[in-house]
Amino acid sequence: MLSRWAILAASCAALVTGAVPAFAQKSGGTLRISHRDNPPSASIHEESTISVNQPFMAVFNNLVVFDPKEKVNSPDHIVPDLAESWSYNNDKTQLTFKLRQGVKWHDGKPFTSADVKCTWDALTGHADEKTAILRKNPRKLWYSNLKEVKTNGDFEVTFVLGRPQPSFLSMLAGGYSPVYSCHVPERVMRSKPIGTGPFKVVEFKRNESIKLVKNPDYWKKGHPYLDAIDWKIVPNRSTRMLGFQSGEFDMTFDSDVTFPLLKDVKANKPDAVCEARPTNVSSNLLVNRDKEPFNNPDIRKAMVLALDIHAFSQILSQGHDIEGAAMLPPPAGFWGMPKEMLPSLLGHSTDREKSLAEARELMKKAGYGPDKPLKIKISTRNIAIYRDPAVILIDQLKQIYIDGELEPIDTTIWYSKIQRGDYQVGMNLTGVGIDDPDVNFYENYYSTSDRNYSRYKNPEVDKLIEQQSAEQDRDKRKQLVWKIEKILADDVARPIISYNVSNTCWDPKVKGLVLQVNSIYNGWRFEDVWLDK
Amino acid sequence: MGAYLVRRFLLMVLTLFGMSVLIFVMLRLVPGNIADILVDASGADPADKAKIAHELGIDRPIAAQYVTWIRGLAHGDLGYAYVSERPAIEEIAPRIPISAKLAGMAIFFAILFGVPLGVISAVRQNTPLDYFLRVLSLSGLSLPSFWLGLLVLMAAVHWFGAIPIYDSNPHGFLQDVAMLGLPAMTVGFRSSALIMRLTRSSMLEVLRQDYVRTARSKGATNASVNYNHALRNALLPVVTVIGIEAAFLVGGLIVTETVFNIPGVARFLVEAILWRDYPIVQNLVMLIAFVVVTMNFLVDMTYMVLDPRIKFAD
Amino acid sequence: MVAIDHQAELARAGANVTGWWSRTLFFARRYPLGAVGAAIVAVFVLTAAFADIIAPVDPTATNAKFSLARPGGMFWLGADFMGRDMYSRIVHGARISLAVGAGAMGLGGLIGISVGLASGYIGGWFDLIVQRLLDIMQALPLLVMAIVMAASLGPSLRNTIIAIAIPLVPTVSRVVRSNTLSLREQPFVEAARAVGMGELRIAVRHVLPNTLAPLIVLATAQLGSAILVEASLSFLGLGIPEPHPSWGRMLSESAAEYVRTAPWLVIFPGVAISLTVFGTNLLGDALRDILDPRQRS
Repeated sequence: MLSRWAILAASCAALVTGAVPAFAQKSGGTLRISHRDNPPSASIHEESTISVNQPFMAVFNNLVVFDPKEKVNSPDHIVPDLAESWSYNNDKTQLTFKLRQGVKWHDGKPFTSADVKCTWDALTGHADEKTAILRKNPRKLWYSNLKEVKTNGDFEVTFVLGRPQPSFLSMLAGGYSPVYSCHVPERVMRSKPIGTGPFKVVEFKRNESIKLVKNPDYWKKGHPYLDAIDWKIVPNRSTRMLGFQSGEFDMTFDSDVTFPLLKDVKANKPDAVCEARPTNVSSNLLVNRDKEPFNNPDIRKAMVLALDIHAFSQILSQGHDIEGAAMLPPPAGFWGMPKEMLPSLLGHSTDREKSLAEARELMKKAGYGPDKPLKIKISTRNIAIYRDPAVILIDQLKQIYIDGELEPIDTTIWYSKIQRGDYQVGMNLTGVGIDDPDVNFYENYYSTSDRNYSRYKNPEVDKLIEQQSAEQDRDKRKQLVWKIEKILADDVARPIISYNVSNTCWDPKVKGLVLQVNSIYNGWRFEDVWLDK
Repeated sequence: MGAYLVRRFLLMVLTLFGMSVLIFVMLRLVPGNIADILVDASGADPADKAKIAHELGIDRPIAAQYVTWIRGLAHGDLGYAYVSERPAIEEIAPRIPISAKLAGMAIFFAILFGVPLGVISAVRQNTPLDYFLRVLSLSGLSLPSFWLGLLVLMAAVHWFGAIPIYDSNPHGFLQDVAMLGLPAMTVGFRSSALIMRLTRSSMLEVLRQDYVRTARSKGATNASVNYNHALRNALLPVVTVIGIEAAFLVGGLIVTETVFNIPGVARFLVEAILWRDYPIVQNLVMLIAFVVVTMNFLVDMTYMVLDPRIKFAD
Repeated sequence: MVAIDHQAELARAGANVTGWWSRTLFFARRYPLGAVGAAIVAVFVLTAAFADIIAPVDPTATNAKFSLARPGGMFWLGADFMGRDMYSRIVHGARISLAVGAGAMGLGGLIGISVGLASGYIGGWFDLIVQRLLDIMQALPLLVMAIVMAASLGPSLRNTIIAIAIPLVPTVSRVVRSNTLSLREQPFVEAARAVGMGELRIAVRHVLPNTLAPLIVLATAQLGSAILVEASLSFLGLGIPEPHPSWGRMLSESAAEYVRTAPWLVIFPGVAISLTVFGTNLLGDALRDILDPRQRS
């Protein structure tokens, strides 16, 4: 594990020091990529899946964006996009953007500050029926501190915040925050969206393909290099892999190549460029603390002690998955607790036998034993990436007299079921759109959040979350974040089993692609990508 | 005979009507609906859910929803697909030719191999060749077609280093055949096995019959007896099988389209069920039922034409 | 009719055989394929019954060290990517297949027989309605019906059995009904009625046993197709959930990804399904020849 950390650290360092070699970029060609499933729609603001972001981010622009040339998304590397510059007022509650002029939507209409207002009014729920450009709004929580969006002429816009929030700019910089236009109806945005970005949507054929072509009027002169991007939707992973190996595709879907598959890909396509990186998706354990007998803290603690996180990592990714707490740890993560601190957390001990013995004692104390196992249902979403860790979990819990039965839940009802608290123990995957404490903590651990699935309520943690959110000093804020991470782990709020690491592969002729290591949802603009034929 | 036709037709309509009620009610008893999926999967506000449910009309009573659907069907309007928000007909129609082509090719292969092998098996009854062919045909009924598909993919990778990947705009007829040929053979294997078995047994029956013996005694050669007299009479049950197989074929298509990643109607059915996209599911189920019922009807009609001895009391 | 046909068969063959063993040998020689089928089915049933003894390794135990282990050594048939023993999973998988096959057949048979008997016996409008309902059920292919039902009920062993059993009902009840219709006019039924036997008793004591032969033939054939449908459902992710070792499930998703690196994951479960279904088909063919001479080919 150590060596991999070193490699990752080195590769990050290399990029930070600007080791990207200069190429003479060539224009033209079509990039062919395989897609893993049918995107629920093309509207990024309405969805929460990489299936939508990866193909459609290239259709849009943000106000600001995480520097696409940097591997680590960080608040220190945010660059202009549709906004040319930005500034705060004195008490840091007003954020004003100067907008780029002369930018046109794909349908030829001009882009103005009204479009920015429309977009964020819809996201905060301030839009009225007539200007509603969203049917659903999964990231409303991000903007709970945004009070108002004011325009000042066609090319200036001010975001008024309720209190200072340093993370706010980061939220605007991710792939989840494109600027929508006022004049395109929501239904069109879901099927054939109009943006200002480097590529236009030609067609989105459900379950079949997505075709994008170069936007010749793109405001960034000389970009993009590609003539077109063709996505083919291939739900069967083995078919996708074979297609990549036989040259049908120039690139795989993001993180599609698991470690057991990597060997096969490398063997059959030796020139393939494959990059392993964390997805910032964690496998985690949900224990419903409102239900008998899990309201007993001893049992929750025993379950965490019984977890062999290294075995999970070995089986699922041949040991590449990363150990961490509530935030993705460095060097890939920007905010997470350093790895030296991890062994002090509950469930991260290196002495497995001792932990198991302790766990068994706790179970016996609660009245369970080899002759009287605790029978439980372990619910999980009925797709392989959820089921596989759940199968391992059941196997591991056997060692502390817990007899688990898997309850696979259809995707259609999985989220509402755990949101209702209608489960005992769950195996869950949590993807974080932006590596940012506000984005993660408010959604998953704040006591009043709908998606605090394990129903963890701790006023102290709530207060700390508020406190770090307003903290302007970066180092002080990190200390607060680590403190929260420690409490969450020791309280068994949502035990993190591991952060997934997976591979994305492409043909060596694909150049100019930079994968970001702390989020899979950003960095898919494709405007710097070119084909060396 | 006219009265029989009318009755048979009315029965068909009645069956389809019953099916429409059955599928409609069954789908709505399923826990979870499209609003849950759309909203929960992306983690949006529960208030959005009610809005979407209302927009899609799934908060209305089942009976009212049913009437809307049937009324639309009568006008050729299949409603709107929930997921894509496009008319269901636009989602379903382009997939029909794909599955139909696949099914047609499968039946073609099935007949191409099934009939001659069945005849050979019958003519060489109880020889080692017959035993081999019988075992072969039984194995056709025993291999799950998705497994056969996986084996075919394995073989393709092994020998050609590539697999057929479906392309909606094939470059010419040849690519079309190459793309659909392997999947079609995979689906057709089962049908060819069944056709082979039936050809064999009906061929045997006919060979035992008097007029064949008479033909033989008149000095007709063995070959001409086998192929002229017997085969023609043995074809009747084969027609039936092909009719019946149409229903089985749908099952085979579902898994084969999944394995080979072909965007046909059969695979679409499973996807739509998982997405609770009722307008797609109910219309697809009706389409399948319609095909099956019509096939049965046509087979009955063929019988009537081919074999006037059959009486049609009931 | 079972016994009668045996005797007839023996008589026709001019054989003078007595005793259970020699009779078995006689049929094995006369129907070699059927004997092979019977042997396969016997092996299948015994494997399912004694799975714990034949394969003592826990089929759900994971171990990172043995991920994708090749066949041989500790793992006769290799291991899957979680390091689970494939041999053990396939042996225990027989239990699942048998449970679903027999369960679906039993449940579908029970409902089918009751419906068929009632329909044939009561007749009139009741029969008419039942027949139209069966028409409706038969308008959908078995697998499609099972898929819709399995999706409605959710994945579990019990639900899979129900989802497969219900689509089997029409075939069974049609066979029972047509037999009942012809039997109720038979002299021995008339006689039973004449001595004052109740209708229900006649149905169960006289009519049903005489329908047994075609039912056995049907049941054997349907055992095979029930196993196949279970495999297909599990393959599509709608049948038996993990970590239960279902053969169809073993072939879904992850297995397909390892066609090249670990072909044993694809080959062995498929062989298990095919062989079992092949065995039931062979046996079914032979039984049909023996028990149901009208359909003899």
